[in-house]
Amino acid sequence: MIVAENVYMHFRRGLLSRRVRALNGLSLEVREGDFFALVGQNGAGKSTAMYCFLGLLRPTSGKVEVMGKIPALGSPLYENVAYLPEEPHYHLYLTVEEATRYYSSLYGKRVSPKKIDDILERLGLAQFKTLPLAKCSKGMKQKVGIAQCLLHETRLLFLDEPTRGLDPLVVREFREALQEIHRRGATIVMNSHVLSEIEMLANRVAIIDGGKVVVQDELRNLLVPNQELYAVAFEANGSTPDYLTSIERLGNLVRGSIPKEKLYDFMDYTKNSGLHVHECSLKKISLEDSFFKIVKGGGPLL
Amino acid sequence: MAELLKANILADFAFYRRSRLLLAFMLVFLLLTGLNSIPPLFTNSGVQKFNALQDIFSDLNTFLLFFAGAMGLFIISSHLRNRNLKMVFTKPCSPALWLASAFLSAVAASFFLNCIVLASGVTLSLIWHVPVRAGLVFVSLDTFLASVGIIAYLMLLATLVHPAIAATLALIFNAELFLSVQIWTLAAIRSGNSSPALRALEHFFHYLYLLLPMVHAFGKETQGIYRSLRVPHGEWKYLPYALGYALALSAFCYCLALFTLQRRRHI
Repeated sequence: MIVAENVYMHFRRGLLSRRVRALNGLSLEVREGDFFALVGQNGAGKSTAMYCFLGLLRPTSGKVEVMGKIPALGSPLYENVAYLPEEPHYHLYLTVEEATRYYSSLYGKRVSPKKIDDILERLGLAQFKTLPLAKCSKGMKQKVGIAQCLLHETRLLFLDEPTRGLDPLVVREFREALQEIHRRGATIVMNSHVLSEIEMLANRVAIIDGGKVVVQDELRNLLVPNQELYAVAFEANGSTPDYLTSIERLGNLVRGSIPKEKLYDFMDYTKNSGLHVHECSLKKISLEDSFFKIVKGGGPLL
Repeated sequence: MAELLKANILADFAFYRRSRLLLAFMLVFLLLTGLNSIPPLFTNSGVQKFNALQDIFSDLNTFLLFFAGAMGLFIISSHLRNRNLKMVFTKPCSPALWLASAFLSAVAASFFLNCIVLASGVTLSLIWHVPVRAGLVFVSLDTFLASVGIIAYLMLLATLVHPAIAATLALIFNAELFLSVQIWTLAAIRSGNSSPALRALEHFFHYLYLLLPMVHAFGKETQGIYRSLRVPHGEWKYLPYALGYALALSAFCYCLALFTLQRRRHI
């Protein structure tokens, strides 16, 4: 669906300013039907990569192909593409309804007013239909962006920080809508800093650092359980065993990690002390753990 | 394609209707024109009434030229500065089509305003019992054609530079300025100063004058019509000439603006 090979993107932000190396040999592949997440620190090159996939930026060198074609501004390729930008740079002089209708009409297909009303209703925008975007909050503008993405059943969606500024109810609604779109076969490429959200949605992840992909893998491979540690939670009556690490206390409840070889010692300890154990399982590694390990540790986790 | 053009033009009309800058510009000019039209209300002389009509009509047409330029400038600069074109160009709507829509919408709005000004001229003639002259139609059409060229030129400048610089270039560094400077250098040469630098400058200003677009390409030939509002037989030919000039200028500016727009970073 998307192929990027050795993409370099260098540009200046002004005539006299230094050249910025936004992408530094980025290579990745997004397969049809993927829910693909781009993860990285601020300035890692995630948005620049997305701009290159969208044809908004032409790489200095390297190859980018989307659905087998080189993306260019306004090309027919976009009949099958929807894009939600990170910053709400919309047509602020239009009202919520006008903007939604305008963006959907740019696909050259008629969308029934009822469908627009339905989507605005679903996103909680129905009562603000006549409000100019200039007077809308950031979250409301983001919802307009989401509405225009959901109106057409496109094969490919680009989402740049999609849930930024949204209220929790809409985040949940939007997440469900994305899962529904993904189930019907659409490919989704998403940039996000909310790693827990990526864990819930994505099936493949690329971690970008310094303008290149440092890891690209199935999400499940990045979340394999750690075979060396057990996560435990128990009711403590004061002291805790010295092999217990990463301790968190919540009233009587203590959470922490114990090494594999101390598991039986821990069971003896709790049994002898008459402590109630709430949890004892192989410790799962979150995407956040993987991300920190890879970006800060300078190498793949596994 | 027609659907896309229509969608863009409708959005552009919403922009013109809601642009506070354009509204303020229009109000100031209408206020000034309104103040100018008060004295003729208290005169009974037919000649004075005709002069007043001619002044008001001329003012309104001048305003239309400025307003057309402002529309061309703001429709481009506002979208570029708000960075919202990425919402358009990531849909199957090419920069060529968007630019054409912006141009056509400004031309249509300008035509509508020209019709209003023409209707006002005719209405004033009827109210003041001044004969309705064909010159009103000629001046309106000529102004409209000049507006088309101005819109295209300002749209081009807006894609190239900051709108303040674009307005400065259009208002100050225009063909008329370089014609005046060329005439001044010619006068200096004829008065005995035959310095090669001055001759080179004279040529330089001459070519700049030829290169830069003119508001009224046949202004010298049609100035009599503007003064008397009469169109002598055979003078209507300047309208097709003006149309040809406006179309050629618009096509040139459109191609250059499109080239610039496609090379800009819309992020």
